[in-house]
Amino acid sequence: MMSKKIQIEELTRVEGHGGIEIFLKDGRVKDVKFNIFEGPRFFEHVIKSVYYEKIPDITRRICAICTASHSLASIGAIENAFKVEVTPQTDALRDLLIHGEMIESHALHVFMLALPDFLGFPDAIHMASQHLDAVKSALDLKKTGNLIHTALSGRDVHGMNDRVGGFSKTPSVEQLEEIKEYLVKVKPTTELAVKLLAGFDLPSYNFSDNVLMAIDSGDRFGFLGDSVLASDGYVYPQSEYEKLTNEIVVQHSYAKHSSYKGKPFMVGALSRVQLSHKKLEGTAAELYKEHKDKVKQGNSISNNIAQAIELVHSVDRAHDVIENLLSEGLKQEDLVEFDVYASRGINAVEAPRGLLYHDYTFDDKGAILKSNIITPTAQNAANIEKDARLIAENMHGKPDEELKHALEIMARAYDPCISCSVHLVHL
Amino acid sequence: MSKPKLGIFSLTGCGGDQLQILNMEDQLLDLVSRFDIVDFQEGSSRKEEGPIDISFVEGTVSTEHDLKKLKEIRARSKIVIALGNCAIEGCIQAMRNGETSLRERLKDVYGVDENFFDAKLSKPITDYIDVEFSIPGCPIEKEETLRGITSLLHGDSPPYYSYPVCVECKLNEYPCVITEYGKPCLGPVIRAGCDARCPGLGLDCIGCRGPVEGAENFAAEYQMLLDRGYSKKDIMNRLRVFSGELSEDFLGGIDDE
Repeated sequence: MMSKKIQIEELTRVEGHGGIEIFLKDGRVKDVKFNIFEGPRFFEHVIKSVYYEKIPDITRRICAICTASHSLASIGAIENAFKVEVTPQTDALRDLLIHGEMIESHALHVFMLALPDFLGFPDAIHMASQHLDAVKSALDLKKTGNLIHTALSGRDVHGMNDRVGGFSKTPSVEQLEEIKEYLVKVKPTTELAVKLLAGFDLPSYNFSDNVLMAIDSGDRFGFLGDSVLASDGYVYPQSEYEKLTNEIVVQHSYAKHSSYKGKPFMVGALSRVQLSHKKLEGTAAELYKEHKDKVKQGNSISNNIAQAIELVHSVDRAHDVIENLLSEGLKQEDLVEFDVYASRGINAVEAPRGLLYHDYTFDDKGAILKSNIITPTAQNAANIEKDARLIAENMHGKPDEELKHALEIMARAYDPCISCSVHLVHL
Repeated sequence: MSKPKLGIFSLTGCGGDQLQILNMEDQLLDLVSRFDIVDFQEGSSRKEEGPIDISFVEGTVSTEHDLKKLKEIRARSKIVIALGNCAIEGCIQAMRNGETSLRERLKDVYGVDENFFDAKLSKPITDYIDVEFSIPGCPIEKEETLRGITSLLHGDSPPYYSYPVCVECKLNEYPCVITEYGKPCLGPVIRAGCDARCPGLGLDCIGCRGPVEGAENFAAEYQMLLDRGYSKKDIMNRLRVFSGELSEDFLGGIDDE
């Protein structure tokens, strides 16, 4: 009887604090744990009794790198609760904002967090010593996302200008023109991201039958919508999200684990691209076709190249949205007024890392009675454990360091956002 | 001369302050070339043990693990800088401190009766260690941080704002959102340094840079909002978001029920 533990104490180049433990007995995998030791933050608890108007200012602070996604999920849930209809300009600006978030977040992950693994560097700074131009253009790409954040929400992180009922101040023509110039300039960088990642072979040690889930964005590929697609062909209205998440508390993690029909599942770029690739347009559609053998449902590491394809898409779409806004003529609009009453509102959006749900119940004055927030990394946690087990089994007999490296590459490919995951459902 | 050794650490939080460092896209490569970065978990797999010249720490102490890590950072660092509102005042995680216990929160959010994790009530790092400097904000301002880092490289102190947001609002000649739009602005009691961004967008200051030094005006702010028809509970919720327990200290135990 030989027991052994292989441990990655703390994952690096990921947002937040988590690790992986593999327990082996007589050469067999006994148990696998994706440990999350980022402290709990109890958002559902702290927002109790807060009026609806202040809720997005608090909940967008759940996470810095997905701040606009949390903001839009939160605002949408409130608007659904009180049946608020916003203007077409607001809809267009929100679409632009979520593309900005994808650009900023994916640029950071693809170039600065994931690519160093494949090119053999500890980080993007060391990578710059040999790939200076690529790193510089990646920073410009990331900056483009932040310019969108700043013009629309007021700043790079934890903005304030996107409100329930619209935008407090409409961005200026000059701001949008500047963003447009940047989008043109950085387009080749997004294509470079796809080509670089397509040049690496997908490792064979973690092929499995992933169940995927993503928002149904309607006619065009996107990140906002009212229903959710699952890879078994079912479509669910966002209001039935609890059927899709089934959260349970596990003792080794501040993040609860999710399952769908008894199985772990995956959310994020791979799910979106895989489930909606027919909706991709232009360069993104061409690059998907060219490299679709590298976008594999069964290989979570494909999430990296799926993010790169989304970068191409979002840069193109953001450009289109801006052209439309400018040709329609930007208007300074008042926030939509509405009545407040006892109600519940649920909203799903695609954050960079996958499906995000906000669910609020309000009293008759519009103060929060209870809430439930389910983040993508919490949904992915069980699937990460599934993959870790698979890798440990398939790499049986290999040196520990090699196994650890493979586990890190897999976990990092999910682009986990651990801060997000630690303040989950209200039971 | 060798480059100063720099550590960028985060405890429990949203990661927004270290993200703001990564968000200095135009200056980042130049900035990092001035330092030997020995620990930056979110950005690099490189880790080096031993003494550190300057450590930035963001987040709150929310677990025993956080506390152990913080004490280790303090022990090996010449200068520790509290980065952002969590590290300085506790921010949103500490919003209900003094109102509800850790046990109640675990029961409410995780549905468990016992603390089978190693959770602690979220507190700012300044409750546990002394820090040489702090850079406020939720998140930190990029320009202020850059100036702070540049100052440190020249042996100087980072900028410090001892006046409220109202000063910057007036300098910008923005209309007062309290008197003109009737909004519950916290600008009179909150630390400046943001160039009054929210009033510039027609919004009330929500206090993300924390209470200005002294904050003697908290009671007056509270009374002003009360006079304008806001309920006690609503005002306390607004004051508590970024100032946490401090709100009560400043207000002298006002009953908010």
